[in-house]
Amino acid sequence: MQYLLRIAGRETGRIFSGKIYWFCMFFVPLFSCLFFLSLMHKGLPIALPIAITDMDNTSASRSLVRQLDLLEGLHVTATYNNFNEAQTEMQKGNIYGIFLIPRDFAQKTVSAKQPVLSFYTNNSYLIAGSLVFKDMKTAATLAAASVALQTGKARGYTDQQVMASIQPIVIEAHPIGNPWLNYSVYLNNVILPGILALMVMCTTVYSIGIEIKEKTVWEWLRNEQSSILPSLAGKLLPQTILFLLVGLLLYAVLYVVMQFPINGNIGSMLVALFLLITASQAMGVFMIGCLPTLRLGLSFACLFGMIAFSISGFSFPVNAMYPQIQAVSNVFPLRHYFLIYADQALNGRALFYSWPHYIALLGFGFLPVLTLRNLSWSLKYAPYKP
Amino acid sequence: MRLTNPDMKLANTISKGIFDCFSIWEQELQLIRKDLGVVLMFIIVPIVYPVLYGLIYNTETISETPLAVVDESHSALAREFVRKIDASPDVRVFAYAASLEEAKEWMNRKKIYGILLIPSDFNSRINRGEQAVTAYYADMSSILFYQAALLAATDASLEMGKKIHIGTEQAIKSVYVPLYNPQKGFASFLLPAILILVIQQTLLLGIGILSASSRERNRGYLIPCNKRYEGTLRIVFGKALAYLVIYISVCIWALVIVPHLFKIPQLTNYGILALFVLPFLLSAVFFSMTIASFIRGRETPMMVLVFTSLIFLFISGVSWPLSAMPDYWKYLSYLIPSTFGIQGFIKLNSMGAGLWEIAFEYRMLWLLTGFYFITACLIYRRQIIRI
Repeated sequence: MQYLLRIAGRETGRIFSGKIYWFCMFFVPLFSCLFFLSLMHKGLPIALPIAITDMDNTSASRSLVRQLDLLEGLHVTATYNNFNEAQTEMQKGNIYGIFLIPRDFAQKTVSAKQPVLSFYTNNSYLIAGSLVFKDMKTAATLAAASVALQTGKARGYTDQQVMASIQPIVIEAHPIGNPWLNYSVYLNNVILPGILALMVMCTTVYSIGIEIKEKTVWEWLRNEQSSILPSLAGKLLPQTILFLLVGLLLYAVLYVVMQFPINGNIGSMLVALFLLITASQAMGVFMIGCLPTLRLGLSFACLFGMIAFSISGFSFPVNAMYPQIQAVSNVFPLRHYFLIYADQALNGRALFYSWPHYIALLGFGFLPVLTLRNLSWSLKYAPYKP
Repeated sequence: MRLTNPDMKLANTISKGIFDCFSIWEQELQLIRKDLGVVLMFIIVPIVYPVLYGLIYNTETISETPLAVVDESHSALAREFVRKIDASPDVRVFAYAASLEEAKEWMNRKKIYGILLIPSDFNSRINRGEQAVTAYYADMSSILFYQAALLAATDASLEMGKKIHIGTEQAIKSVYVPLYNPQKGFASFLLPAILILVIQQTLLLGIGILSASSRERNRGYLIPCNKRYEGTLRIVFGKALAYLVIYISVCIWALVIVPHLFKIPQLTNYGILALFVLPFLLSAVFFSMTIASFIRGRETPMMVLVFTSLIFLFISGVSWPLSAMPDYWKYLSYLIPSTFGIQGFIKLNSMGAGLWEIAFEYRMLWLLTGFYFITACLIYRRQIIRI
């Protein structure tokens, strides 16, 4: 115990005197928090720029353009007389959608000749493309409805009957846990803990690897008889505590300041945060154990940690990926954290539904065992290879 | 013709400069070859990473998202509606649930990601010529599921509308044309950005490791105390040339072969692509040389730079729209070559733009090349003076 505390004390000193620890443990998670939350402070991007190609140019078409601009999601930045100009504007990336009003739109409408409105989106920018698609589709439907209501009235139908003929079934959407379709909630709940986990992994690898590199192993371990487990525990404990504090600060920002929804029990999320941190530390020990040189161990941690953001499936869902990749996703702590988050915070489900992922995160704790012998040998006997 | 003395001197300086430049180039290539960490960053990661990301996103779209139906109306009309939803490639009706409770239990167990509730008055309302209201409960762990299912249901309901004729329907028709990335594919959307980012970030990390190693080798200096390393320009050009030679092959792999392997749209021709890649690579190289010079310790670059990949990806405006981005981040993004690299590459490759359409990005890349070339020169100039 005393041995463990001595090492923990030494490690704390190292952390507070090393610029790189400050940078990775505090600056990176907190700066990222500031960056991503301010970047997406609007939550749902609104007033996305689109252009109109108005080939009709009548009062009817101009009123349609005004209606489009009234939609919160859209902002009409320009009106062109031909489509090619609008398309060039789209290729330049200045607009995400084009709404085309055909020649003789007004006249065809009046004479019931079914004019065709076309709308185009740029899905190279997937989020913006989907959002302008939704609003332009609404605008087209509304335009059709308003004409239908007029002619319907003339023929003696009620508004209700006319609407039922256009869209007999209304679908009321209930997006559970994120009714605002807030992208900041959607992405930052996982990106930010993910960055924390990435830094935990890197710091763990670094703090062990640097001892090998700078030949300070014997300051850390007392002698060759020292057992590796208490030495590691003493080293990692101060980091666990500090990362947990940073994680709590992150949670305070997400769930108290930003008021991101927690529909379940905050306790189960705190446990998940703690387990994410310890699982990432365990991954770190495992990695430096596999590749006991600082440089290679760190590369392993970084490359693995970056893939985690894609393979955890919070942006592109894992069950849409290839089966083999779905299987691989399970070796990433962030994947399990994301699933716990979706259950506990977003959907407010009972703990019962998430326990496999808590167990999985706990299971990462046993990973270092696999490489402990190798690590112990490298620490004590292997010469440093640059 | 005889050369006069001063001419001779100038010619000598130039020829010595060029000679030194090539010898620094060779020296740098040797350093790269001998350093496994750098080989990893310059060669292995740029080969493997694009493929890895390609494999993750290659399925492109979600398909057959499972959802449950709670049908309280038990009508033929409701079943027809559900059949029409099921016909969409994006969703699949997993099963009819006896109650909302049962469906919720399925959702909790992640067997389904959405519940469609058809109320008991569904049939009677439609027969009376009124709108029937259904509810769709969506698991928001993926917005893609939500969007796809809602769209499938809306399309099915419009389809149902065509059966009810009172003579006013379809006063105005509308057609949707997705112009670029028509299948709304995730790989086609994100992979081009990742490819450009992999190029810049591996350059940044590799050059970071190289320059930190020089500092460890040369008592804190970026360059050795050697006669060849006497001129700023020859050092900067010599080193840059070494990185360029490697990265030309990397670019061919990452920007031409990988998109081809994963069937990402390639709407540009190689000549234009080459013209575009040149300033991107140059600016990324000088950017990396500049940033790298601030880093001490061979292992530090990875520690301090790895998180920037995410920042650079989001700040480039490919996923989070530029129009919704605060101005201060937008202006900051102007300092990063990948911002223009990503935007330009997407416009050329995914949207078939020409150089004229990406004139802004193209000019900015050359501007950044100039800017970071000067900063890199200033840094090496100081090193020479100090030694």
